[in-house]
Amino acid sequence: MPVLKLWQNDICREISFSGMPTLVSLLLQHGITAAHPCGGSGICGKCAIRAEGALSAPTAAEEKAGTRLSCQIMLLGDAEVWLREDAGVIETSGSAPVLGTAMDGLFGAAVDIGTTTIALKLYDLKTGTLLAQEGAMNPQYSIAADVMGRIGAAMGGLLPMLQDMVTEVIQAMLTKACARKDMPVEQVGALVVTGNTTMLYLLTGRDPACLSCAPFQADCLFDRMDTLLGIPVYYPPCMNAFVGADITCAVLDSGMHLRQETALLCDIGTNGELALWNEGKLYVTSTAAGPAFEGAGISCGCGSIPGAIDRVWTENGKVQIHTIGNQKAVGICGSGLVDAIAVFLETGDIDETGAVDADALPLAEQVALLPADVRAVQLAKGAIAAGIRTLLELAEVAEEKIDTLYIAGGFGSHLNVASAAAIGLIPRALEGRVTILGNGALSGAAQLLLCREAVSRARELAQHATHVTLSGNSHFNQHFWEAMFFGDEDIFE
Amino acid sequence: MDLQEISLQLQAGKAKIVKTLVQQAIDEGIPAQQILEEGLLAGMNVIGVKFKNNEVFVPEVLVAARAMNQGANLLKPLLAQDGVKASGRVCIGTVKGDLHDIGKNLVKMMMEGKGLEVIDLGTDVAPETYIQTAIEQDCKIICCSALLTTTMGVMADVVKAAEEVGIRDKVKIMVGGAPVTETFCHQVGADAYTPDATSAAEKAVEFCSCT
Repeated sequence: MPVLKLWQNDICREISFSGMPTLVSLLLQHGITAAHPCGGSGICGKCAIRAEGALSAPTAAEEKAGTRLSCQIMLLGDAEVWLREDAGVIETSGSAPVLGTAMDGLFGAAVDIGTTTIALKLYDLKTGTLLAQEGAMNPQYSIAADVMGRIGAAMGGLLPMLQDMVTEVIQAMLTKACARKDMPVEQVGALVVTGNTTMLYLLTGRDPACLSCAPFQADCLFDRMDTLLGIPVYYPPCMNAFVGADITCAVLDSGMHLRQETALLCDIGTNGELALWNEGKLYVTSTAAGPAFEGAGISCGCGSIPGAIDRVWTENGKVQIHTIGNQKAVGICGSGLVDAIAVFLETGDIDETGAVDADALPLAEQVALLPADVRAVQLAKGAIAAGIRTLLELAEVAEEKIDTLYIAGGFGSHLNVASAAAIGLIPRALEGRVTILGNGALSGAAQLLLCREAVSRARELAQHATHVTLSGNSHFNQHFWEAMFFGDEDIFE
Repeated sequence: MDLQEISLQLQAGKAKIVKTLVQQAIDEGIPAQQILEEGLLAGMNVIGVKFKNNEVFVPEVLVAARAMNQGANLLKPLLAQDGVKASGRVCIGTVKGDLHDIGKNLVKMMMEGKGLEVIDLGTDVAPETYIQTAIEQDCKIICCSALLTTTMGVMADVVKAAEEVGIRDKVKIMVGGAPVTETFCHQVGADAYTPDATSAAEKAVEFCSCT
């Protein structure tokens, strides 16, 4: 039987196989989760891998990418591959929950299942003390980076696998968190697990077909008790197919609904989820920003990995960069991308329409922005900005009336607010009114765990939310065209 | 009058000026077809190439297309009078289950900029709607757009539906959208995949001139 040698961190693992499997299928079979952002269709070129031995000839996609891609390689015999260690940064920061009537049990955990990462916090339910926290990559990422890819995979028969993947990771995280405090997992008496609607569908093994196409009607919005890993679990309410329990939790965490304020909450990811609180009413919507801010679709884009450029600024007119871990620059992540665009707008290398008068804008020896990358950012930021404008318009709220702009989520936590305002991702008028929530979904889930009173508040928020649909909305389309530009230049007279 | 000026103003998105200039050209007795081709379509052609090269972006295409339509509306009755026909008729839509329309709209604009007549079926379009339109309106091409991996499969149904009603040899089927690839196009048995709006319009013109 032929053997595949897998190298990672100088450790070799051998896998024997029969037939001519694709590399990605063999890796998956053995629980090795390498990222395949485009779902293995060979478009994104992000699953670049060093491979040697008896392999299929490079495909057209690989020729184009200029490298072997793990989604394209077919193993013909003995081979060796070298896996990259992607140590992502998991966002667990956020506000401390207030202790009320906690859920039953001695200890409990709040979990946020993000599309990319999973975060967990373990609490003492009697004192409300935070005991431990854990972060992990969402292993479903290896199936597809975005929710639609995973919904497709689930419908294609992988639902049990997707469910197992995430359940196992939660179990491992819980075990690890308990081990840190030398306590048996059996003492965990309650869980609150939040996430976007799709993530909760996949975790609970629900068929997500209804989320896959228009009219996108979720047939379950959770807000229910269940059992997970033999522990009672509460799934907070989702608002619709695209605005999930994570947003309900983030709104809860922001506390906007308890104050006499007009507030906007943004969670910027592949989908930008928006929630507006005005005069006792909550308006929610989601807008498809695409994966640009997560590094996909950007020529030199990458996740928050060591060597990713995460900050760009100018000093005496010269472009300066910072990389994660101060390592040699290997690519650029979302926060660096927003900075870079802001800097090049300032230097005039990118004009207000997004045109670049050069073949490339170099940032480091091997990292440069291409004109097409700038266009991808224009689409992404245009979608978010247009979503905000449409939501405000329909709720009849003027931009200036907003007291606080809450930014939730991992990307938002590392975002330079001034740069985000400079490129028009967030309204310029709100630059000085921003509060960064961190992982607001996780903090909100912890709030529910430690204070049952919050459950009814979450329920009320979700049930009374006004949903704004942006697809095919003529206001949105008009704002989208306008918001793609960087300046205030008005060509739509 | 120099029709080049119409082209330049169109590229700058100046709808009002384009409208005025087109009227002026008509008044000067320049044939409508010549105004269309050397003024409006020439301008859109430049925009199309610039868009493909990332020199201009979606908003510029939109305003240029608006300017073109303003001018074209003045020309339409005259072209009909002269018996000038569009070089081909196309129907376009985003497939059933999918509501994304930005890319589809761009393709429509670029195709109109190539002098094609485009019937826009909107979004969430059922396979039978494409087929029915193609038959009733005598379209040479059906264009399908999808932005979701979960909806792109509908394109296969469109191809199948065309086969079932026996018009597959009379109509070309073009596919596009972010998740769509050349390989996928072959898998579903469509005729062409193009990666951007400009290429789509070029391909459509090629198909129309072949038949």
